[in-house]
Amino acid sequence: MHKQLIIAAAAAFAVAAGGALAAPPDWSKVPAKKITVFYPGVSPMEWIMRGTEHGGARGIKKGETCAGCHDDETADMGKKMVSGQKIEPNPQKGKAGSIPVSVQAANDGTNLYLRFSWKQPAGGGKKMDAENQVKLAFMLEDNKVELANIGGCWSTCHQDARTMPEAKDDKKTKYVKGGTVGSGKYYDLVQWKSTGKTADGYVADKRVMEGGKGLVSAEGKNDGGTWTVTFVRKLAGGGEGDIALAPGKTYNFGFAIHDDHTEGRYHHVSLGYTLGIDKKADITAAKQ
Amino acid sequence: MSSQEPGTGGKQPGALGRLWAFLRRPSARYSLLALLVVGFFSGIIFWGGFNTAMEVSNTETFCISCHEMYDNVYQEYKKTIHYTNRTGVRAVCSDCHVPREWHYKVARKIAATKELWGKLTGTIATREKFEAKRLELARSEWKRMKAADSRECRNCHSFESMNTESQKKRASKQHEIAIEDKMTCIDCHKGIAHQKPKGMTEADES
Repeated sequence: MHKQLIIAAAAAFAVAAGGALAAPPDWSKVPAKKITVFYPGVSPMEWIMRGTEHGGARGIKKGETCAGCHDDETADMGKKMVSGQKIEPNPQKGKAGSIPVSVQAANDGTNLYLRFSWKQPAGGGKKMDAENQVKLAFMLEDNKVELANIGGCWSTCHQDARTMPEAKDDKKTKYVKGGTVGSGKYYDLVQWKSTGKTADGYVADKRVMEGGKGLVSAEGKNDGGTWTVTFVRKLAGGGEGDIALAPGKTYNFGFAIHDDHTEGRYHHVSLGYTLGIDKKADITAAKQ
Repeated sequence: MSSQEPGTGGKQPGALGRLWAFLRRPSARYSLLALLVVGFFSGIIFWGGFNTAMEVSNTETFCISCHEMYDNVYQEYKKTIHYTNRTGVRAVCSDCHVPREWHYKVARKIAATKELWGKLTGTIATREKFEAKRLELARSEWKRMKAADSRECRNCHSFESMNTESQKKRASKQHEIAIEDKMTCIDCHKGIAHQKPKGMTEADES
């Protein structure tokens, strides 16, 4: 009896101490936000800000966010680009124009919980990444990178990055102009791959897929064609390139899905949204 | 010899001289009223004829009778919403490129005689020549439209009658910015009926 009590106490203590082992919320009680990720064609920041190509440049200069104009039409935009009708010189046959995703967020004072769920569209395209059928990554930013509040992770997208038509260096990753970890001008990047591998890195003047200490776990499952990926990430972050998330604050957020063995620019992306920790935002991670 | 008209310097008048003399001589047979009434109605017929001829030059058929127009800008326009909207409503060349008000219209017609010279000398007679001149031609039209505050657009579309609530979010937000910044239609809607030319610069953004 005494021994059992000690074991029980030890187990309880372990659970309490390892905040990482804190139970995820009851997802059926967490409101879901539907975000339709879409195929973005060739739309780097250089194109976005060119008024003769993108009428929205004018709005951006006045502080209008991408979602402010485009939120309800991302499916139409994706359709136009994936077909090659607009800003896509290399359309991929059979690729979906957009994917509606259900996004849920919650926190328990120690961890942020993010859950993404979507129905897999038909694929069958060229296998660019043979190993990973699906990848999902999200980025968080603490209101320092230019235009991050406008377009979420779009500020990392440039015309000279690899797989872009104007790229000259096939090793050049996404980057933030003038970004460094020290200055705070960077994005925290967290990725899950369908092989089960995860990465916690950042994008400053280039993308680094390690160094983060915030990610606790990322689990994904495919249930008859519906993918569900759940991330547990310590609010405090703690590693290099980690954003410290504080209650009562909002952060810039965006995510992308590499569906059907794709890589590089052939992903479906979200517009920029705000993530609030115990604060009302586009996506609110309320305390459970 | 017929009687000589005074002031002819003693020479026999030619056919032109005799015609002129005939016209100058006061009417012996007809009353002033008769002459005025006939003149009035002849004027109407002449004016109608003149105007009809001028309006023929505003028809789509007339414009595309030149291969420069038919092969290039007409083909591009056919792919746009000004050729056919969701219910088949259409704007033709003159709806955008020729002013409706008579005095602006005539001024444009006079300026357009330059295009006859262009046609004669074949300035855009081939696809290559057209593409080479496209940006210059586009900028010239944008300049004319901007100077007239997009008058031809506003014949059908206007900020006053626009119902921004019924528009898509993106359109209604852009139009609200345009109204706020006192912009004109052509500032943003370049390329609405023909392909945008290559080589546009930041200066062409508004």
